[in-house]
Amino acid sequence: MNALYLRRRITNALAMLLSTLATLVGLAFLAWILWETLRQGISALDLKLFTKITAYGEDGGLANAMVGSLIINFVGIAIATPIGVLAGTWLAEYANRTKLGESIRFLNDILLSAPSIVMGLFVYTIIVLPSTALTNGSTTFSGFAGGVALALIALPVIVRTTDEMLRLVPATLREAALSLGVPQWKLTVQVLIRAARSGIVTGVLLALARISGETAPLLFTAFGNNFMAINPMEKMSSLPQIIYQYANDPGESMHALAWAGAFVITMFVLLLSLVSRLILSRTKVSHD
Amino acid sequence: MTDSAPAASAAATKITVRDLHFHYGDFHALKGIDMNVPEKQVTSIIGPSGCGKSTLLRIFNRIYAIYPKLRAEGSIELDGENILAPGYSLNRLRSKVGMVFQKPVPFPMTIFENVAYGIRHHEKLSRPDMENRVEQALRSAALWDEVKDKLKQNALGLSGGQQQRLCIARAIALKPEVLLLDEPTSALDPIATGRIEQLVEELKGEFTIVIVTHNMQQAARCSDLTAFMYLGELVEFGPTERIFTKPGKKQTEDYITGRFG
Repeated sequence: MNALYLRRRITNALAMLLSTLATLVGLAFLAWILWETLRQGISALDLKLFTKITAYGEDGGLANAMVGSLIINFVGIAIATPIGVLAGTWLAEYANRTKLGESIRFLNDILLSAPSIVMGLFVYTIIVLPSTALTNGSTTFSGFAGGVALALIALPVIVRTTDEMLRLVPATLREAALSLGVPQWKLTVQVLIRAARSGIVTGVLLALARISGETAPLLFTAFGNNFMAINPMEKMSSLPQIIYQYANDPGESMHALAWAGAFVITMFVLLLSLVSRLILSRTKVSHD
Repeated sequence: MTDSAPAASAAATKITVRDLHFHYGDFHALKGIDMNVPEKQVTSIIGPSGCGKSTLLRIFNRIYAIYPKLRAEGSIELDGENILAPGYSLNRLRSKVGMVFQKPVPFPMTIFENVAYGIRHHEKLSRPDMENRVEQALRSAALWDEVKDKLKQNALGLSGGQQQRLCIARAIALKPEVLLLDEPTSALDPIATGRIEQLVEELKGEFTIVIVTHNMQQAARCSDLTAFMYLGELVEFGPTERIFTKPGKKQTEDYITGRFG
């Protein structure tokens, strides 16, 4: 065995070792987070969590926070998905390689990395304050306002994935449809969106995963509510907000509830990621 | 000068190209092409990479027009009408001129829907009529026997050669008059290639076929006329047999004997 060959084998083994170590470190932290949330929250993890609303002391659950989270997230995704998919389609199909398209793509990337508390303050200014003034204070903070704030966070994620997934569809597929005389809008709706469908759905699920853990944008918008609220025009509680509140509380049982909430959210996000993975791998389409 | 009117063919002229220039932004890709494509014959266009053969083909159905900064000057007459004229409807042009691309690109739909999709855009057919049309197209593309039991399956599950024949079926389902084939076998294995070439032979009674190929044997095997292009110009155009046995130009001879390209 010559020296060159030996050196390559050593380099290879070293690179393999380092990347395996890096992976293990990442996975270890993930496992640690899951383990810690489970260990700390296990005392509060029972049926009560899902049936009782928040109450101070041993008797509380998280039902109102979970329902609130579901409603707020639903509002957020319901607003962000149509706008995001349409905007992403416009970027990829109608404005690709134009100056306007490039500028909007750039602005969208800025929105993607904007601090989430800014979204909360923005929605506080444009929805919470005016609705307070208009209704003489009967509608102030609301689940809807929270949903709008979350929509602003989900929107750039959906725009970006839709745009990228559509641009991954090979140009020849466009040419093939156009060469049949099919107009651009039919091509986009019937062929391209279909070809990129699983990627777009994954983008929406990832956006949902992203917003379901957001706390800051909800503090100034949905505010929180210790009772069960179904009407999105009322103040609404949410899991991240309850975790934030209870983690700051001196009470031991409150901590356990916060941990249990953290565990529920983490599992939810994990599940979403797994589902989106599954969708992507199952319907992966190859055009090679 | 190029001999643009092949004397050997008695067939009527389907496409007349006159002083055609093409620009990709600042790049002058085609420099004054003149050529008569005869009806219901196979015309092949050969030449080294970058000579403009695909560019020329892509003007015949104006598919180039979907990209910005590309422009064509001169005229291409299809049955005496200039297809480059702004008033010529793209919808009409593309229902008359079908195209098959280098890579097979089935739509992400069932096999049946792939063929029916284009028809549905141009004609409204009842269910049995549509089934008939799809079957006819698949038979013409020599694919029917292989797919008749799985018409409802996703087209992406077919092999590369089958996918390409599906694309041919999709194009001929519209009953076009001209069929453009842009290196249709370059992504296929020799057996699938053989089937496509055989298919071209069978289809030429019905359609005017223009095929771009970088495979000279393919041009020699399956075309009636051959055009040789080099650096954006049409160097020589004539009956395939003459081009390959007694080329009139030094450049053509050098190319077909493998001295360059």
